Amino acid sequence: MPAASLAPHEDERLKALRAYGILDTGPEQAFEDIVSLLAEAFEAPIALVNLIESDRAWFKASVGTSGMTGSSREVSFCAHSIASGRDQLVVPDATTDARFADNPLVTGEPQLRFYAGHVLRTPEGHALGALCVHDIKARPDGITPLQSRMLEVLAGQVMAQFELRRAVKEREEGVKALAESESKFRAIADSMPQMVWSTLPDGFHDYYNARWYEFTGVPPGSTDGEGWNGMFHPEDQERAWARWQHSLQTGELYEIEYRLRRHDGVYRWTLGRAQPIRDEHGSITRWFGTCTDIDDLKRMEQGKELLSQELSHRIKNIFAVVSALIALSAREHPEARAFASAVRNRINALARAHEFVRPHSEVSKPTVGDTTLHTFLGALFRAYADGDGRPRVRIEGEDATFDDQAATSVALLFHELATNAAKYGALSAPGGHVLLRTRKAGDRFVLTWTEVGGPEVSEIPARTGFGTSLATLSVEGQLGGRLERQWLPGGLVVEADLPATALSRRRAALKST
Amino acid sequence: MTARILIIEDEALVAMELRFVLEDLGHEVVGTAADARSARALAAETEVDLALVDIHLSDGATGIELGRELGQVSGITILFMTANPGMVRDGVAGTIGVLTKPTDERAVQKAVDYALRRRKGVPVDYAPPELQLFG
Repeated sequence: MPAASLAPHEDERLKALRAYGILDTGPEQAFEDIVSLLAEAFEAPIALVNLIESDRAWFKASVGTSGMTGSSREVSFCAHSIASGRDQLVVPDATTDARFADNPLVTGEPQLRFYAGHVLRTPEGHALGALCVHDIKARPDGITPLQSRMLEVLAGQVMAQFELRRAVKEREEGVKALAESESKFRAIADSMPQMVWSTLPDGFHDYYNARWYEFTGVPPGSTDGEGWNGMFHPEDQERAWARWQHSLQTGELYEIEYRLRRHDGVYRWTLGRAQPIRDEHGSITRWFGTCTDIDDLKRMEQGKELLSQELSHRIKNIFAVVSALIALSAREHPEARAFASAVRNRINALARAHEFVRPHSEVSKPTVGDTTLHTFLGALFRAYADGDGRPRVRIEGEDATFDDQAATSVALLFHELATNAAKYGALSAPGGHVLLRTRKAGDRFVLTWTEVGGPEVSEIPARTGFGTSLATLSVEGQLGGRLERQWLPGGLVVEADLPATALSRRRAALKST
Repeated sequence: MTARILIIEDEALVAMELRFVLEDLGHEVVGTAADARSARALAAETEVDLALVDIHLSDGATGIELGRELGQVSGITILFMTANPGMVRDGVAGTIGVLTKPTDERAVQKAVDYALRRRKGVPVDYAPPELQLFG
């Protein structure tokens, strides 16, 4: 007896069969009705809804089987049906069919002879089993077209019932999964240190986590709808309401700081944020939001801001006191006046540089323009303006920012250059001026100081003063650059060639990590 | 052009140096106040043409309000002198401008001259570059 060969993709077929959740379920009227009707219409003693599993045939519904609920797969006619690849299999006389002649159900009880079955095929094409009739008498004429049609229609009905069952099963699993995900969400939301809430697309609040009720102390459910707005500080309510309405209308991210009333009546600064959840068409289905208590953070920030302002004031004040101290000390020693004046001017240049150093708080920002190299140099050279207030040191080229580490060096370098120019160079002559060009050149920043219109330079000065040493030290020692002086006949030209990072070393260090 | 000048400054050394500079220039320094209360008292009991006002005084950042009041109510010409000119970035009504500390004799002299000329209605071509004018 040749057993029915396995259908192609047998593993997938079995998976599909089990997914319907039909196997080993109890009798159901819908299937019983179908097999009864089929048996009567065929005037046959046996009819089955027969599902073929890996090693057995199992009857979902049956008539005339004397309590049998299935058979082994080897002896099953329906197993041959599904292996045939066709939709219907008709065996007029099993005794003359090589596939069934020695089948125990043919040779022994119940001595089956006739078989007609229609495969139960899923929409994906998997054959789960067959709807069939058996007779113990041979039917040489096979089946009529009407009987064929009846088999087909009723098999379709069985599959429709199966599909319905699968849909219900999937839905139940979906509901279960949803309930599980909902309880997971609540567990996460309730364990968060933040307040979490959610609204319908129109902004109606219908969910708050445990933290919200813990913080506000209001009874559960009492802030549903629009009740939340009353929890805000009266001065913040209108602003928060307007911002929230704007987000609801535009779908824009909601973000705002307001004071929220805690259960003890204290208003705490809170960061409120919310974003919309959209469906596949882009329509908003929900808003999810959080409230974060930022009161401590805000206080700390204010304290820090206050402290840095205070420090900035003190540093600048110290420069003023030192400068005054030098001037006062020199009054007792008239012979030291020139010396004191030089020191004082250097101190003042340092103080000016520190005013332009980043970072700045809102209040410590200098009065003019940006805190860049050019604005600082402009301020430093303001004292050298001509009789009409026009600058005599003209600054051109690419600007840069500088930090406190570079401030001292930059201030001393240009203070010395300008002081020297005013004493001996271009700024000592009525029509003379200086051109200061700054440019970025790859990883270098180059500043070129060109004096024009001063007294003619006849020879290189033999002696270098302290101011010159100070300028060299600033560039080559502190800034890690190179300083080159050229005494051209038309005037002094000084080039300071710095690493591009020298002006903002701290920022460069931050960037590279 | 000599004037009666009030110094409002809480750093004694800075105030003393300023007094010497102004006296060298021939002005009369009518007093030095370290806080707003004593500044008001001095301005009330003596005639003052010009006040040099620091912003941070010994009783806090009271200089701005004090300068506004002395300028608008008492008719004193006001020059701020501060290490933190950012505090008066937007200007103060009824006052002339701000000089950034530390500064030097020359800048003080030019700024004071400029302020006194304006007080007298003498035409001035341009303000000294170190002085930032309001409005």
